[in-house]
Amino acid sequence: MISERLMGILVDSFWNILIPGLTMTIPLTIISFAIAMVIAIITALVQFAGIKVLKEIARFYVWVVRGTPLLVQLFVVFYGLPNIGILIDPFPAAVIVFSINEGAYSAETIRAALEAVPRGQMEAGECVGMTYLQIIRRIVLPQALRIAFPPLSNSLIAMVKDTSLAANITVTEMFMATQRIVARTYEPLALYIEVGLIYLLFCTVLTRLQRIGERRLGAYGG
Amino acid sequence: MAGELLSVKGLSKSFGEGKILDGIDLSVARGDVIAILGPSGAGKTTMLRCISFLERADAGDMIFDGVDYSLRDASRKEILEFRRKTGFVFQNYNLFRNRTALGNITEGLITARKMPKADAEEKGMALLRKVGLEDKHGSYPSELSGGQQQRVAIARAMASDPLMIFFDEPTSALDPELTGEVLSVMRQLAEDGMTMLVVTHELGFAENVSDRVIFMENGSIVEDAPSGKFFSDPEKKRTREFLATFIER
Repeated sequence: MISERLMGILVDSFWNILIPGLTMTIPLTIISFAIAMVIAIITALVQFAGIKVLKEIARFYVWVVRGTPLLVQLFVVFYGLPNIGILIDPFPAAVIVFSINEGAYSAETIRAALEAVPRGQMEAGECVGMTYLQIIRRIVLPQALRIAFPPLSNSLIAMVKDTSLAANITVTEMFMATQRIVARTYEPLALYIEVGLIYLLFCTVLTRLQRIGERRLGAYGG
Repeated sequence: MAGELLSVKGLSKSFGEGKILDGIDLSVARGDVIAILGPSGAGKTTMLRCISFLERADAGDMIFDGVDYSLRDASRKEILEFRRKTGFVFQNYNLFRNRTALGNITEGLITARKMPKADAEEKGMALLRKVGLEDKHGSYPSELSGGQQQRVAIARAMASDPLMIFFDEPTSALDPELTGEVLSVMRQLAEDGMTMLVVTHELGFAENVSDRVIFMENGSIVEDAPSGKFFSDPEKKRTREFLATFIER
C-alpha cells in the first residue's frame, strides 16, 4: 500500500511537475510545432512544385535530419555550437532543434498529402484561369492539409513526449522537474509513474482535440 | 471563313511509341455545337486536352478568337489568356472538393478575374438557378449526386462568360438515369448560342443538339459533316460501320 509519506510526496510533487509542464513542456511543444509546420509546408511545396535548386536543398535537409538522432541534434546545437562561438540558451536551443527535426518529418507527411490530392483539382483550377500559386494556395494545399491532419496530429502527440529529451540540455521541463524531486525523495518508481501519467493526460487532451478537429474538417466530406 | 472562332492545324501528339493524334485539322465557327464521336482510343479526349493546353502537343498551331497559339510552345501567359476565354467540363467533374457548389463557381471569378465577392456570388447564384441547383448552393461536392456535380461544373465553366466550352465526355461517368439532367442543361446552353466542342458517346445528343459531327479513329478525323447528313448519309464506310454497331444495340 502507498504509505502516508509517499502519498504526501506524490501530492506535493504533482503541482511541482505539472507547473513546468504547463510553463515549459506545452510552450516548447506549441512553439516548436508551429515553426515546424511553416518549415514543413515550404519544404513540401518546393519539392511538389519541383523548383530546381530548392528541391535539392529540401531533400538534403530531410535526409540529414531524419538520418540523425534527435538527442544528437540537441547536443550539437547546445553543447557543440559554443565551440564556434555560438551560445544559445536552453529553451531557444530546444525550440530550434525540435522545429528543424519535426519540420523534416512533417514535410514528408505534407508532401505525400499534396500528391494525394487528385490531379484533376489542379486541372480544374487551370481551366478557370487561376495561376499555379492561386491553385496551390486555395485549392490543393487546403485539401492536402486536411489529408495530413491525422498524421500531423500524431506527430504533435509524439512531440509532447519527445520534449522530455530537452532535460538533457538543462531545460527544466516536466521530466527534469521529476528527476530533481526523485533526487530529493528517493521515490523513483512512484514519481516516474506519476510524470508518465501527466504526459498521458496531456496526450489524452490532444487526442480529444484531434477528434474534434477531424470532425470539423469532415464537414465537406470525402 | 466568316465568324470563325477556333482553327487548329496539324495537331499531333504521341505518348511514347504510340501516335495518338496524327495531324488534326479542325475549325469551329462561333455558335457551332460540334459533337466528336469515335471508338475509345481514337484520340478524342487527347485532342480536346491538347487544344486546352492540359497536354502539350508535339506539333500544331491554333488560332482562337483571332490570336495565334503554338500548341507545343505557348507561354504560360498565353495559356492563361486562352483559359480566361474558354471553359472546360471534365468527365469526372473535378469540382473543387473544398468549395461549396457556389464556391466552385465564384472561385475563378474572384481569383482570376478579381471580381468583388458579392458580384461573383450574385452571378454564381444566377448560374445555379440556370442549371436548377439554386437550393444546393451551400452543398459540398461530396454531398451532391454525379449529375448535380456535373451541372455545377457546367455552371462553373459558364461563369467567366467564355466564348467556347469544351466538354470531355461529360456524361460518361454518370449512371444512365442521371445523364438526362446533364444533357438537358447542355441542350439549353446550345440553344442560347454557346459554342461547344463535345466529346461524347451520346448519339442522341450528337444527332439532335449538335450542328456538326466529327468522327475520329486512330488519331485522325475520318468524317466531318453536318449532323443531319452524318446520321442519314455518311460518306465513309467506316462511319457507317460505327453507326451500325450502335443501331444493333
